[in-house]
Amino acid sequence: MSKVSGTPVANLSPAQPSLAKSLRKRKGPGLRDISVQENTFPHKWRLIRWGFLIFINFLFFASFYFDIQILEGTLSASRLLGFHLADPFASFQIMLASKLVKVNLVIGMITVVIIYIILGGRFFCSWVCSYHLLAEFGEMLHKSLIKKKIIKKNHVFDRNIKYYFYAIFLVLSLVTGYTVFEVINPVSMLSRMFVYGPGLILLWVLLLLAFEVFYSRRAWCRYFCPVGVSYNLIGWISPFKIKWNVNKCSNCKKCQGVCMVPFVLQETVNKGKSEYVVSGECTRCGLCIDACEDGALKYNIRYLDKLI
Amino acid sequence: MAVKSNDKAKITRRNFFKGSTLVMIGGAIASGAASVPVLRSEEPLLRPPGALDEDLFLASCIKCGQCLQVCPPKVIMLAKINQGFGLGTPYIVPREGACILCRGLPCVLACPTGSLNHDISEGSEAEMGLAVVSRPETCLSIKGENDLVYELVNLSDSDQLADSEKLKKILLRLIGKLTPDELDQWKKKWAFDEISVNTIPQILAKLNKENISWLVDFAEGTLQAAQACQICLETCPIKEENPIVFETRQDAETDRDYVTPVVQKTCVGCGVCEMECPTPAPSITIMPRLKWKEGAA
Repeated sequence: MSKVSGTPVANLSPAQPSLAKSLRKRKGPGLRDISVQENTFPHKWRLIRWGFLIFINFLFFASFYFDIQILEGTLSASRLLGFHLADPFASFQIMLASKLVKVNLVIGMITVVIIYIILGGRFFCSWVCSYHLLAEFGEMLHKSLIKKKIIKKNHVFDRNIKYYFYAIFLVLSLVTGYTVFEVINPVSMLSRMFVYGPGLILLWVLLLLAFEVFYSRRAWCRYFCPVGVSYNLIGWISPFKIKWNVNKCSNCKKCQGVCMVPFVLQETVNKGKSEYVVSGECTRCGLCIDACEDGALKYNIRYLDKLI
Repeated sequence: MAVKSNDKAKITRRNFFKGSTLVMIGGAIASGAASVPVLRSEEPLLRPPGALDEDLFLASCIKCGQCLQVCPPKVIMLAKINQGFGLGTPYIVPREGACILCRGLPCVLACPTGSLNHDISEGSEAEMGLAVVSRPETCLSIKGENDLVYELVNLSDSDQLADSEKLKKILLRLIGKLTPDELDQWKKKWAFDEISVNTIPQILAKLNKENISWLVDFAEGTLQAAQACQICLETCPIKEENPIVFETRQDAETDRDYVTPVVQKTCVGCGVCEMECPTPAPSITIMPRLKWKEGAA
């Protein structure tokens, strides 16, 4: 049950009793505390997350199909047990396009903001958004294609494009009087397809996925998706974050190998600026927690430990 | 040497960054702005009750489909990409399934954005469109034909006896309006002691090609056959003030009187008349968004 991990450690002479202690101070790739046990459940959070994501999207489907009326609507707007929920970006577009402010929409938007302040901003992306799950599979496929040398390399775009998109599509809504982005929005499309059946527009989603698999890894979520930007902004102020324990970390960088937005860990793990992963880009997906063999990363609520 | 090539790679990477960002942003603006006028030139769809003016409706609909989820007759559909502007917005095809103007308008209550205006609460306040007698040449009312007889003749001609649901509906309506004399005649024919809804399945079982021609003859001889079709008015969900009035007009050429349905101001364009019209192509159709004007019909 308690296998001792870390081959580099095992290769060193195990006879010295103070080795573990000395290793703790010596930081370097692959050097970790001998007392740490190997992760016996390497995909724990990913399984929980996928289960949650599928459950939520199934609720959307079942609420209509089996008429159980728990979570009616789609990811753009819905009603959870009668309470309005509305996606902030879609709501902003509508308010700007129609020049109307409707109470129900504002209530729905505020409810969503409160929910994701508690759950952690882009928690929406990795735990709720159905396109994200497809993109994750796309990413796996992309990585294996690169490994097999079928694709030469991954193309990187500017991460800030999504912020420009956020602004551009809001301005376009105001100018054209139509929610232009909703014509190309794969997030709401896919959600609508789950509930009301597929349409020709599925081709656009598949095209996007193909782009991600063959050209640029997870391009939509990383560089373009303005829906995630709302949750990104919420994520900065949300106290639900990944906590990094500097004393346990052996600096192996495995977390950054699996992270879907690796730069968010750099600030913390590489530069040590904060013991929390503060960036709103962090999707709280838990892949880094699963990957960390030192047990140095975990979910935590910021400020709470200070209060207690 | 190695350093040099590294530098070069950095620069191309940065250029790619700059270039791709500009391309993406430019593309987004251009395609977004261009798609709006191109896609907008479409025939208007019939929207659910309480829909705001089309432009405002398109601007404010969040495309969540909650109106569809609560629709009791399940007639609301969401527009697909090949229907032009307004992907994911709700619409109704009255011929396939018309809005029945449910009490309290659940679709309006469900709308989170007020695209279906919360100011209205009853079907009579909806302004979806207007019914128009678009094919007067086929309209049974204008031709002076009875709808029951028309449907029975059609059924007997087309070997559609297997369509028992339709036949059942016709028989129900036929029996409902029989006079005592006609009822006696009916009982004698089928050798039943009483005639009611419960005996319809027995009649259906006995029906064959010969009987149906008797049925047609019988129906043609009944008192109700003398009345021309008024299905559109009979099925109209608005009962307070008749949205359709049958006016007698005179043909200018032949000087003969004929009856014609005239749509009144109280019509909201729900489309039940279009759905129920017995002619192969509906003689009365809904014009979405059309407003009633004096003397226009």
